[in-house]
Amino acid sequence: MELICLGHFVLSHNPEVWILGELMLNCSWGGVGGDSIHRIHPALECHSLVVSLSSFLLRFNYRSTHHLTSNGFYEFLNWFDERAWYPLGRIVGGTVYPGLMVTAGLIHYVLNLLHMTVHIRDVCVFLAPIFSGLTAISTFLLTRELWNQGAGLLAACFIAIVPGYISRSVAGSFDNEGIAIFALQFTYYLWVKSVKTGSVFWTIGCCLSYFYMVSAWGGYVFIINLIPLHVFVLLLMQRYSRRVYIAYSTFYIVGLVLSMQIPFVGFQPIRTSEHMAAAGVFALLQAYAFLQYLKDRLTKQEFQTLFFLGVSLAAGVVFLTVIYLTYTGKFSLSLMRYLCPPPRYAKIHIPIIASVSEHQPTTWVSFFFDLHILVCTFPAGLWFCIKNINDERVFVALYAISAVYFAGVMVRLMLTLTPVVCMLSAIAFSSVFEHYLGDDQKKDKEGLGPNIKSIVTMLMLMLLMMFAVHCTWVTSNAYSSPSVVLASYNHDGSRNILDDFREAYYWLRQNTDEHARVMSWWDYGYQIAGMANRTTLVDNNTWNNSHIALVGKAMSSNESAAYQIMQSLDVDYVLIIFGGVIGYSGDDINKFLWMVRIAEGEHPKDIRESDYFTPQGEFRVDKAGSPTLLNCLMYKMSYYRFGEMQLDFRTPPGFDRTRNAEIGNKDIKFKHLEEAFTSEHWLVRIYKVKNEGSSRTSSFLRKARS
Amino acid sequence: MKRHRFDIGSLVNEEVKRTVDLSTHLAKITTEVLLSNPGRSTVNSFVVALEPELAPHLAFIGASGQEEKDGSLELKETSLKGQSGKFFEVQLLSGLAGGSKLRLQVETVLSHVLRPFPTHITQAERQLVVFQGNHYLYSPYLTTSQTTRVRLASKNVESYTKLGNPSKSDEIIEFGPFQDIPPFSQDPMKIHYENNSPFLTISSITRTIEVSHWGNIAVEETIDLRHTGAFLKGPFSRYDYQRQSDSGISSIKSFKTILPASAQDVYYRDEIGNISTSHLLVLEDAVEVEVRPRFPLFGGWKTHYIIGYNLPSYEYLYTLGDQYALKMRLVDHVYDDQVIDHLTVKIILPEGARNIHLDTPYQIDREPDQLHYTYLDTFGRPVLVATKSNLVEQHIQDVVIHYTFNKILMLQEPLLVVGAFYIMFFTVIIYVRLDFSITKDPAAEVRMKVASITEQVLTLVNKRLGLYRHMNDVVNRYKQSRDTGALNGGRKTMEAEHRTLTNDISSLQARLKVEGSDLADKVAEVQKLDSQVKELVCRSCQEAERLVAGKVKKEAYIENEKSLASKRQELINRIDSLLDAL
Repeated sequence: MELICLGHFVLSHNPEVWILGELMLNCSWGGVGGDSIHRIHPALECHSLVVSLSSFLLRFNYRSTHHLTSNGFYEFLNWFDERAWYPLGRIVGGTVYPGLMVTAGLIHYVLNLLHMTVHIRDVCVFLAPIFSGLTAISTFLLTRELWNQGAGLLAACFIAIVPGYISRSVAGSFDNEGIAIFALQFTYYLWVKSVKTGSVFWTIGCCLSYFYMVSAWGGYVFIINLIPLHVFVLLLMQRYSRRVYIAYSTFYIVGLVLSMQIPFVGFQPIRTSEHMAAAGVFALLQAYAFLQYLKDRLTKQEFQTLFFLGVSLAAGVVFLTVIYLTYTGKFSLSLMRYLCPPPRYAKIHIPIIASVSEHQPTTWVSFFFDLHILVCTFPAGLWFCIKNINDERVFVALYAISAVYFAGVMVRLMLTLTPVVCMLSAIAFSSVFEHYLGDDQKKDKEGLGPNIKSIVTMLMLMLLMMFAVHCTWVTSNAYSSPSVVLASYNHDGSRNILDDFREAYYWLRQNTDEHARVMSWWDYGYQIAGMANRTTLVDNNTWNNSHIALVGKAMSSNESAAYQIMQSLDVDYVLIIFGGVIGYSGDDINKFLWMVRIAEGEHPKDIRESDYFTPQGEFRVDKAGSPTLLNCLMYKMSYYRFGEMQLDFRTPPGFDRTRNAEIGNKDIKFKHLEEAFTSEHWLVRIYKVKNEGSSRTSSFLRKARS
Repeated sequence: MKRHRFDIGSLVNEEVKRTVDLSTHLAKITTEVLLSNPGRSTVNSFVVALEPELAPHLAFIGASGQEEKDGSLELKETSLKGQSGKFFEVQLLSGLAGGSKLRLQVETVLSHVLRPFPTHITQAERQLVVFQGNHYLYSPYLTTSQTTRVRLASKNVESYTKLGNPSKSDEIIEFGPFQDIPPFSQDPMKIHYENNSPFLTISSITRTIEVSHWGNIAVEETIDLRHTGAFLKGPFSRYDYQRQSDSGISSIKSFKTILPASAQDVYYRDEIGNISTSHLLVLEDAVEVEVRPRFPLFGGWKTHYIIGYNLPSYEYLYTLGDQYALKMRLVDHVYDDQVIDHLTVKIILPEGARNIHLDTPYQIDREPDQLHYTYLDTFGRPVLVATKSNLVEQHIQDVVIHYTFNKILMLQEPLLVVGAFYIMFFTVIIYVRLDFSITKDPAAEVRMKVASITEQVLTLVNKRLGLYRHMNDVVNRYKQSRDTGALNGGRKTMEAEHRTLTNDISSLQARLKVEGSDLADKVAEVQKLDSQVKELVCRSCQEAERLVAGKVKKEAYIENEKSLASKRQELINRIDSLLDAL
């Protein structure tokens, strides 16, 4: 699983430095129709549109796309990235969902074929807004199928501005989700269409769209579980029909074959438990259809006997097969992962998943923040759907219920909830408007005088207006900031740009050996690979927990122990983020406990979390802090020479603005490291590992050779 | 480069004044010579020489006569037999007659000749450099008297050679005067001194000039910068750099680039995006960019960036009919006292430019032309590529490119766009107008069939109603003319036409029934109503006959006629409403 976010993402509490987000000063955009405007906000704000955008890119995706366009598709599939996960390397071609890169590469190729010399960077930057437009269209189509045209238009308007989706589709957010939501909605539209018509044509279209989704995002699992669930519920509701049979049988077979064409997915669809529901429903549907067939030809008595026999036989066979396969390890029964809220599961099993803020359970605040009024109205839409139920409304009801569950489990899955909320809210609003804005032809309705009608209409319009205002505000304030450029405001309101990340990354790119290996916490792996173009040890693709734990161990050990680890890993430079000077709270010291925990998970003998706390159980960096913390590598690197620095006259030298404490260890000396670079605001500090051995052949490589 | 052998002749250097400016990272040597011709014959040229040790560092050499009006003289590289070093033949505008004298000035700029020593310094240390040159003027001629003045970057001098007991005051060391120096004399001069001036070198620059005839010239420079002073040894401490003003004194924080006054849309970026640490100042005669690299440059550090801007073409592009001439700087200012190790200039001319001819102010290596494709190009734009090494500020000169361009070609791109849209709309038209489906939808077909039948029914029914109106007229006319024949004739034709129409409608009704449409019932109802209408019409006809025959009274007739008309109108209304529902 790709953990794409920048990691622990906490807003700054320092009043002087408003980190993140405040790049919009004068956003006076209003109205519902501002889809594209909203999304290009961040791009417009910086002086030069295209130039500044590249900093927003998710660096790894951009790098892979670049690789794809410069080396071709087959080379991309075979790409072994030796610059990541040193010394292991990473097989990129087989471990990414290539849909995003292929889409961008294809657009780039077509444009260049027409001599439109657009740089691949610009294609990447504007891909997400383009696809959000397509999402709006497919949401319209889906809602039209479910309800009517009016609701469809409303739904398209909602999805165009809802913050929960804008967060993933602003210009420059070159991310799988950006195109995946389009693929998701379009697949669902085609599925509903094929269930309605029972036509193989629509079902094949659905399969192709599903194939695109599989190639784009791991969230395709949602589709391959939701559609069988739909079919299953239809069977339970006695809504079986020829149309369902044709649609699902075609979809399952063709979709299965297509999805297995993606190298990263491979044989998973027939092996792993998350795909088994689809297979089971497929078998069930066949059996059901067969029974229906028999029913016409047998007497009731014969039929019952046969039914009983058949069911028990089938159940036995399935049960034994599952037992056998699980026993022989051919497939893993990992349903736990999906049913149990991950943080709870992961806190026990993998701290690394729990350490990402995106994987936390969603709070009510963020529901409201991302969906605003829609979160209140969508149950009404759901009720309307259930009240006038038909085949496709069963589907949307299931979609809504499952998406709500998943969104509650993890902040990140809010994204899958957003479209269905838009659709159902649109249905709710549309029904209300139909009721209260309709002509007075039907005079039989009691108590609906023109006054009540206009009051209700006004209220509804007010709600929608507030929704639009909220969306504009959220977009401009929270989702438009590039994560690598920070801005602060002086007392007179003038703006400072803190470009420390890029300063340091560019220094690495220009002034270190081309093959230098940089150790940092995994959050910065993609950024280092992309912007500094240097080899990293761990990165945001957190596939190897023990490697990350080794880095965590090096960071949390004392210098000599860390030096041994770093020597064995051939580390040349160590990069850390330190926010103590400007009060940036997302720095490495604040994440440090996670490093300790992850390291402890793999090396419980050497690292113990309790050593880093005071006897009172506090995590403090001042004099009262635990000596283990005050002498560990991360602490020393963060505060090296910081003890001499007096930031202002009210505070003593070495006063950490992020943690509001005077540091406890001001006399820091290094034996094996030296400061190589520190950015202007000390945000990024890079240390060089001194090379004491004469030959630079690592023990790791030596071991590998022998 | 063509070298030719040259006879040096016999000239004498009198009163040589050399100034060696070592205050920057360049060595700028200015030599003022009073050249005399002791012989009898007129001399048209003389030779300037450069020491073999310094020759590889030569970036620029130029000579100018003080008496000459325009100043600079033409130089041509040459070689002398048995002598090493570099030699240039300088053409005098008017020959130097025997016994006459001429005052001349030779300017030489040498790059990378100041060697940092020690080669590695820490952040706190100052940068010391060594200059190794010649005390004497290296010349193929006898020098009768010479002084040398060396200007340094600072007062701090570690050591210097003491030939002829030079005098030193502050940053200046004066050597000489030396008398009667034979040709090609060399005596090593070595000065070791402190020089913290920015040792900034452009290791490579690619300057792309893209000309558009639509009024714009886009210039983009991709620059690789390197600090070529003493290497930074040991750590770089941001704390010291921020707190102590003399820490990292030889490092480079920022510099100024001067762009043409008409430069617009200036951008400054690198591979990872816009560089936010720069300032733009628009002056009256120039645009000044304060270029601040992302990080300060210490010894040995390098950086890379791209700077670009647009210029209006009317300032640089001259035209006469189909002839065009572009006059632009081959290389432009990047920073003061700049050194460019390697320059590549790419000039992209508009698509269709022919007969391209390049006039350069100095020797430059042309590389094979390329083709460049950008928006709406079909056969590519010609790109001139030229390279040159070791350039300094003195090389900021204009280059002229002549080419011919047929103005009709300007229409090509708009026509291309128009054509593309035309094809697109045409395709849409074809797609919409024609039926490409390979299957037949029976339901839709039936619907269409029914629609066409109802259309026919409508026209027929209306026609039939028209007949009644016509009959009415006939009856009215009959009442005045009392012409029974006309009435009977009218009645007959009406009957006949009515029969055919009714039959047609019935057949259509049958077809509707076949298609399974419920409209057939409505048509049947229309038919039924119609027969009633017809009856009424017949009756009114008879009534009229009876009136004319005098069988009824006029009042009774009018009464009767009124009720008949209202009945008929009612029926017709019902038919109309039925027709509307069809």
